[in-house]
Amino acid sequence: MSDAPEFQYDDIEPLPISGGQEGELCQIMYDGEYRTVMGIARALLQKLEFSERALHATSQAIDLVPAFYTMWNYRFQIVKALYGTDGAELNRELDWLDEFTLNNPKNYQIWSYRQALLRLHPSPEFQRELPILQSMIDDDTKNYHVWSYRRWCVLFFGDFTNELQFASSLIARDVYNNSAWCHRMFVLKNQVPKGPPAEALTGELHYTKKQIELAPQNISSWNYLRGLYDEFLDGKADPAIMEFALSFTPGIFAADASDTGPQIQSSYALEFLARAYAKNEDTFAQARKAYQALSDHFDPIRKNFWAYKIRSLTA
Amino acid sequence: MSAAPIPDGRLTIQKHRRFLQRHLAILPSKYQEYEANKLAIVTYALIGLSCIGDPVSEEYAASKEWLRRHYRVIGRGETSLAGFFPSLYMEVENALTLSLTSTLFGLISLLCLNDHKFFISDVDREGICRFVSKCHKPETGGFAASLDVVAEDSLEPSKTDPDDLRHTYMAIAILYLMGCRNASEFGRYVCLEPLFSHFEQKACVSGGFGQYGEPHAGYTSCALSILELISDRWDIFPNSFYDKTIEWLLQRQVSDKCPEMSGNEYFDPEDDGGFQGRENKFADSCYGFWCANSLSILKAPHKVGDAYQNGLSEYLLNKTQNLLLGGFAKNDNEDPDLYHTCLTLAALSMMSGEFDGTLFLPRKVADTARSQFIAP
Repeated sequence: MSDAPEFQYDDIEPLPISGGQEGELCQIMYDGEYRTVMGIARALLQKLEFSERALHATSQAIDLVPAFYTMWNYRFQIVKALYGTDGAELNRELDWLDEFTLNNPKNYQIWSYRQALLRLHPSPEFQRELPILQSMIDDDTKNYHVWSYRRWCVLFFGDFTNELQFASSLIARDVYNNSAWCHRMFVLKNQVPKGPPAEALTGELHYTKKQIELAPQNISSWNYLRGLYDEFLDGKADPAIMEFALSFTPGIFAADASDTGPQIQSSYALEFLARAYAKNEDTFAQARKAYQALSDHFDPIRKNFWAYKIRSLTA
Repeated sequence: MSAAPIPDGRLTIQKHRRFLQRHLAILPSKYQEYEANKLAIVTYALIGLSCIGDPVSEEYAASKEWLRRHYRVIGRGETSLAGFFPSLYMEVENALTLSLTSTLFGLISLLCLNDHKFFISDVDREGICRFVSKCHKPETGGFAASLDVVAEDSLEPSKTDPDDLRHTYMAIAILYLMGCRNASEFGRYVCLEPLFSHFEQKACVSGGFGQYGEPHAGYTSCALSILELISDRWDIFPNSFYDKTIEWLLQRQVSDKCPEMSGNEYFDPEDDGGFQGRENKFADSCYGFWCANSLSILKAPHKVGDAYQNGLSEYLLNKTQNLLLGGFAKNDNEDPDLYHTCLTLAALSMMSGEFDGTLFLPRKVADTARSQFIAP
């Protein structure tokens, strides 16, 4: 193990990897490094050795097979045995993990391992997690695991302070970033158990409308708008929001709308309107018109579904 | 007991066969990084071959014993634990290396090879169910995929594993294959109430399921498959939520006929007909499977028609099939890989009624498992 001359494994007999069993499938041609690293790491585990050199051996094994859950768990047990709840040592382990994370962004284990370390840590800090979260999001602004981990942190530390601002900054970079919109809803739903205060909701409505004006054909912002109404405003669309939605669908509801259909800016505005009209028998005619326009012109791939919505218009 | 082959002349069956068979033969060293997923590789290749109609139980009969070598019973009698570990080199004396993932893939592979004897007489059914039970975390309702590798005082779910809906699905599917058929039978091994509240946290405002409110087609398929397998607890959500979920799923089908989406870097008109895993992402062949499976569990074809299947088939066959190398890619510009090949063939087979997406088995194999392997 050339990169770590301080660790000696001469006394360890590497566990062999024997191939060529009868009926073997997926016979992998392991290389020499793999055989050595895995041989030593497994031998140390078999001896139940909890030592600095065993820790190093697990990092080498994990480097080669990032999904080797047994090694991650063994590593965690070594960390616990060697460092207990020593914050400084656990920070060192988090440093190692940051480095590993940057090189293996899609791995599943990195985030749950991190959670285990923070649960063990005597004084974990959200602050310490922010740089790695930031660089991972910069690298892939829609990385599902990273967003999930961030939300886990928010709940674990009970700290929502910077979250709306964080979501806004990502939405400013890309208004179509659905993760950022979901993050906003996550904050609204979890920060205050009773739901957000009225002035916060007004602010959100204003913000969302502005973002929709920037990019009207955006399912993420329209879903968010719908979510605000469904979750916090009894699902009742008021005249102002109806007018807002209508501004993206000029001419659709005119009595003489021609067969070719006018150009509209947003099929999601039309869906929003249709959904609202479908709630009241008096406006079924408008709902039918909206669904028909979606089916004929603006979202024909879901023709069957819009026909189903029209069939469902019953008092 | 393979499936009737997918009836479409555009499928280059011979090339796919060779692509899949290669993955079961000798693999170059770059595959060593997937060592912990070896039984997944076996499963994906066997399922893919079954979907194109190959009699895998005959062709790979000689591998039954080799597969069974990945199965272990730890302890005896009333307290035994049983399951599979991912590879023969990952079993380590003194360490607990069984995993839910390997156990499910091991069971699926043996089913593909028609090893009924394993299920009827050889398996330690209670041992497997106890292992699943030990991976359960009643305080959160989820599951780790394995146990702490060195037990301290008692066997505990691994503290370093994720506990998302994938593992819950695997746990429930394993219990199903071990004979559980309804809530009271599953309830013997897992605490269903916390499991369902775990579920409720994963249900999203706009329909679908995901982590912390962000819906995701893969997790949605896991959640709906779990409800389908447990069978008698659909009541944990109101019907309106399932309707919303159908709508959310249908909205994942990408269309090139919509008002202009200026500046959306994740929109490609070439994706028309394919499904994306989340809003404003590119289509990806594997989400065709996860969405189509979810829609079929929710009986969407009866409710709203099955036109989405035509668009999806066109996308999969015309855009993601590699006519030169065989196999399918995630989209129209990547190289083919085993996972997307398996999921695409499974989706095509499912749409022709020959694949059970809930158990991830060819329909005939699933039917046998459903009717024969019932708890004693």
